[in-house]
Amino acid sequence: MTKKGTGLKIAVSAVLCLFILLLAIRQGSVYISLKDLFGIIGGHISGKGTPDGIEPMLDSIFWTIRMPRALMAFMVGGALSISGACMQALLQNPLASSYTLGVSSGASLGAALVIILEISIPVLAGFMLPFAGFVFGLITVVGALLLASAIDRSVSNTTVVLIGMILSLFVNGIMNLLSSLYSDNAKQLHLWMMGSFSARSWTHCAIMLPVCIVGLICLLLMSRKLDIMSFGDLQAQAMGVDSKKTKVISILICALLTGVSVAFTGVIGFVDLAAPHVVRKIFGPSHKLVIPMSFIYGGAFMALCDLISRTLLSPREIPVGAVTALIGAPFFAYVFFASRRKRS
Amino acid sequence: MNITCKNMSAGYGKNKILEGINLEIKPGEKVFIGGANGSGKTTLLRVLSGLIPHEGEVLIDGKEVSSMKRKDIAKLIALMPQTNEIYFPYTVNETVLLGTYATSGNSLFGTDPKAAQFAVKCMEDCGILEFKDRHLDELSGGQLQRVLMARTFAQRSPFLFLDEPGNNLDIKYRAELCDKLNSWASGKTGDIDNTLVAVFHDLEQAKRCCTRAVMLKDGRIIFDGDIADALKPEMLINIYDFDVASYLRG
Repeated sequence: MTKKGTGLKIAVSAVLCLFILLLAIRQGSVYISLKDLFGIIGGHISGKGTPDGIEPMLDSIFWTIRMPRALMAFMVGGALSISGACMQALLQNPLASSYTLGVSSGASLGAALVIILEISIPVLAGFMLPFAGFVFGLITVVGALLLASAIDRSVSNTTVVLIGMILSLFVNGIMNLLSSLYSDNAKQLHLWMMGSFSARSWTHCAIMLPVCIVGLICLLLMSRKLDIMSFGDLQAQAMGVDSKKTKVISILICALLTGVSVAFTGVIGFVDLAAPHVVRKIFGPSHKLVIPMSFIYGGAFMALCDLISRTLLSPREIPVGAVTALIGAPFFAYVFFASRRKRS
Repeated sequence: MNITCKNMSAGYGKNKILEGINLEIKPGEKVFIGGANGSGKTTLLRVLSGLIPHEGEVLIDGKEVSSMKRKDIAKLIALMPQTNEIYFPYTVNETVLLGTYATSGNSLFGTDPKAAQFAVKCMEDCGILEFKDRHLDELSGGQLQRVLMARTFAQRSPFLFLDEPGNNLDIKYRAELCDKLNSWASGKTGDIDNTLVAVFHDLEQAKRCCTRAVMLKDGRIIFDGDIADALKPEMLINIYDFDVASYLRG
């Protein structure tokens, strides 16, 4: 691929993703013109407040509800996608994701404990659920890594995946036990697990943004190592990459990205598989492009899925996890098997 | 700068593959590692490169290999493992450029021009420059082997460890590989004489590329000396438990 061709593809992708993001903000039961939307954004950024001629109600809907929701969906989609792209390179498996290591199971158990035992810490106020989800997700991944390195000094991919799966199944078992013992709270837990961006505020965005920036920069700086790791541990070590150290650092970054995302929105699948796969088809497997473009594509895909989730059966809202799976699964299957058929 | 093993043992888990290995490889040597399947040839190359743990001593220029950083080892030893598993379809050019990682670092913004120039030379030497923009999953087994060879050369290390580099190559490319290895081994990298350590199953190729042979049997060195002596019929019978000379005569 020539540099000019790549530049054009990046430009087209960026414009398309910006268009989807704007669509996600504007579309819904209340519609707004682009001029008014930019007026509202400009007014708030400059500190002048609601511009003249725009109803305060409209300002409130777009500035306090739609924009943080769409941006949150974009950032969560991006975070899950770059985390998926990284895990796929580390494990040399296009079907790997942070979920493989038990982040979602751990996060779900944390949320289940908060809901069932009605735990609350005053300082965390409304953030108790995401906080518990994040902490438990991280504990599960760290536990998986410690167990894997205790069993296998080289922390091989097979050991990591197997330990992740075993821990996931074990934690799922505890959660099922808890939800059957405390069935009164099972509905609330079930709703959280299906994923939603409803009522996400600027505060959520303010926490998610630095996580995305740190994750994106770290993975971009590791992009050449990820390219080399894509050839397997043995070849990576022969070329001078400390594969064990790279694996542990990358997995912790992915756990942070996924843990915070899952904690804020619940378990949302497929974006972390579909976005990196599509990006590799368009831009090739080099991670200096796969990482940033997966963020953009995954973000746009999630914003679009959230738009569908709140508009398709309006005023009812479908869980966004169901939308990503319903669109993502057949789409991913088509792209994956079409490329295999072409190769064979 | 010598590579030395003193009473070294190694294996995978509880399964010992190598036992009591004493070996010294000096700069400028061309060493053939021979032996039957499962005799420990691949394990020996991996231990010498610090890829698997060992007991006893493995020293590179007096330093224990297990205490060295991977990047520092890669600057001295370029190992071409016996694998052709490809998980993501990088282009030939991208793949060969990755070989320059140890010497050119972790640049995010564009490729180091000197590294890129050297990668082009390696591709040219291995006869793969004409398809540098093709993806790895579009190549034949032999073409892929030449790409991995070019990537190993791109590492620019004075010690070249090759694990069956002739795999998948037709007779013409095997002959070319021998010429290439002999010409490389007569040169220097920095101020160190280039040193070749290679595992071959093709004994003719071993004879053409190497002058010294280290023959393994059941994880122990049973011969270390001139390659002509190692390839004598009685020695081959001892190593392979099979009359190799009669078989080759047809």
